[in-house]
Amino acid sequence: MTEPILVTGAGIVSAIGIGKEETLASLLAGRTGIRPMKYLHSCHSELPVGEVQLSNEEMMRRMGVDADPGLTRTALMGRIALGEALEQAGLEGKALRKVHLISATTVGGMDRREAFHAQEKSCDRQHAMIAVHNCGDSTEMIARHFGEFASLSTVSTACSSATNAIITGANMLRCGLADVVVCGGSESLSLFHLNGFNTLMILDQQPCRPFDRDRAGLNLGEGAAYIVLETAASASRRGARPLCRLSGYGNACDAFHQTASSDNGEGAFRAMDEALRMAGLKPADIQYVNAHGTGTPNNDESETHALRRVFGSELPPVSSTKSFTGHTTSASGSIEAVICMLAMQHRFLPANMNWTTPMDNGITPVTYVPDAAPAELTHVLSNAFGFGGNDSALILSKCDCQP
Amino acid sequence: MNRKKIYIQAAEQISMQQPLSEEWMTAPAAYEEPLVKAVNPVFRDYLPANEARRMGNIMKRALVTALKVLADTGTEHPDAIVTGTSLGCLDYTERFLDAMVENGEQTLSPTFFMQSTHNTVGSALGIYTKTHGYNVTYSHGCVSFELSLLDAWMQLQTGNAQTTLVGGHDEMVESYFDLLRKTGYVGQPGMVPCSEVAMSMLLTTGSGKDRLCELAGIRLCNSPTMTDIQALTDEMLAEAGMERAAVSAVMTGINGHPDNDQCYREVADALFPDVPLLRYKHLFGENHTVSALGTYAAAQLLKQNSIPTFMYDERRPQRCDSLSGLLLINQMKGREYAFTLLRRP
Repeated sequence: MTEPILVTGAGIVSAIGIGKEETLASLLAGRTGIRPMKYLHSCHSELPVGEVQLSNEEMMRRMGVDADPGLTRTALMGRIALGEALEQAGLEGKALRKVHLISATTVGGMDRREAFHAQEKSCDRQHAMIAVHNCGDSTEMIARHFGEFASLSTVSTACSSATNAIITGANMLRCGLADVVVCGGSESLSLFHLNGFNTLMILDQQPCRPFDRDRAGLNLGEGAAYIVLETAASASRRGARPLCRLSGYGNACDAFHQTASSDNGEGAFRAMDEALRMAGLKPADIQYVNAHGTGTPNNDESETHALRRVFGSELPPVSSTKSFTGHTTSASGSIEAVICMLAMQHRFLPANMNWTTPMDNGITPVTYVPDAAPAELTHVLSNAFGFGGNDSALILSKCDCQP
Repeated sequence: MNRKKIYIQAAEQISMQQPLSEEWMTAPAAYEEPLVKAVNPVFRDYLPANEARRMGNIMKRALVTALKVLADTGTEHPDAIVTGTSLGCLDYTERFLDAMVENGEQTLSPTFFMQSTHNTVGSALGIYTKTHGYNVTYSHGCVSFELSLLDAWMQLQTGNAQTTLVGGHDEMVESYFDLLRKTGYVGQPGMVPCSEVAMSMLLTTGSGKDRLCELAGIRLCNSPTMTDIQALTDEMLAEAGMERAAVSAVMTGINGHPDNDQCYREVADALFPDVPLLRYKHLFGENHTVSALGTYAAAQLLKQNSIPTFMYDERRPQRCDSLSGLLLINQMKGREYAFTLLRRP
């Protein structure tokens, strides 16, 4: 990459905490957020989920906004995470006029629509607005809490959406279309996708066990995360402190199946390979991989193949933090990018919870060790793969290392 | 960064006009109904029947327009695929939601869910054409298509791709149309019909002979003032080595809804008071991604270097005999704007 792309702010909300501080504490303590269902009201209450531990009303109160039945959980979580990212980057008010927002979602406002769906045929205008709330409206609803951004964009590539939002933002910087972008995603739990994943029979009734021989599926989670990206010139002009660099990224299509990954992980392999080439790094330069690692038999098998194709026999430490947060679908890419940043900054390897038994020819992920020795991480790789084989990877690097 | 020239090599549509044809330029179909479905081609001429049976309308239409564009241009695999869709596979999404609510979350089939994410169409294009390259879907209401066009432009400018397939696709179902009508977006007195959209185009950096036109610039902005819009369009024109005088006509999304039309007239009157205004929504209807068909239509006009009389906005007397630059304006709720600059090569 020619011009360095700096990360100058980050915000995160998930089942393991509101904000970076709580998230870090949970990761370091090995405290998972996967619990019995509390806020989502489904008849499949036996399924554990990774819920953000605040009701919509509590989030509204926290932000000091009036109760509004049209405000979606996706937007509320998105606002909390976006607010934290903008605050860290020192962006507010009129400065936002130069900041482009690229946000990701798939479910958007489905949670509110489900609540009123039975009455839709005879509903009034306000409820019709709730019913037709689409992905773009979701981004607009998150954005308007803060003021006027330069432009708004919504990426929707299922479970790789937030990673692709980060890639779009980075490309805008590279092409000279923007100096500062804020990218990420937000996704609440909904009955729609809980039931959808359930029909695919890929939800584990126990806490998920990524990369374990006996893994039986994923746990859905929810949350939001955003990162502020800017050019070095912009950061130095604004006096913004860089937290790390986005040194490479890749996007490829598995071109195999609408909801399954290929055996050899072709899309995943290409995404990681492209990210390494862009960053000008060798596989051996990567000290940690935050895997997509959903815990489904198919994903973990396919991703293991792809990791072996990229790294050969010298695999760096790998973990899936979905064992903490659940699979936060469209938000997972940015949530896991922020977890990677915390790992680099605080010198630790995030653990892969609930792992006991290796898969045949499987990998041994990072297991939880209290008071583990510090890990010096200079370059970390984060994977996110979506339905339809929309596969993406990011590489984050410490600022003080050679590009 | 040194800008490359980018061309629209070919484009195909399925809409309320004759599918996969430019017949609308000479004999446009006219409709009175508030909701008009797209005129489907004979799908079995393009897709194996056993595969087509499992696909919703939006998927079949997207695939057929894309496959025809690839065939027209002799392209086996595009380097990148970028898709704009506001509502994705709406029909299957609604069916899954209805079944889930009616059956109390029981006895659901995965079929509709598997084709209900917004990237179903874009990834199906990748799967069907075995294209492993860059593949992204934008879903941002009425500017979903322009965001895709902008990304395609970036893929070509950064050298990540030499050929990019770009699409704008949306379908409509009656129950969702009823909801949209209640919000005031469509189905209002005096408005063009609510419609369905499938449009695929191939963008290239190469200088193939039969290209339709050049994509000379694309910009999006949120809540701009008129000064912001002037600065943005002037910057885009300057980057393309053009001045405002090089714009022969302005294509707007006027649709008969007073609030909507006012947004276009204000911008056109402030920036381009002396050129003809063109419209396309009376031919292609209103839909979140119908600007994909506006872009397609503008590219065809530039290729033909002529404008059918029925495309002029009658409020302005100006006409033009020869086209050089064409500026498309698209807007959403008077807040988000997109500007696409096309030029005859």
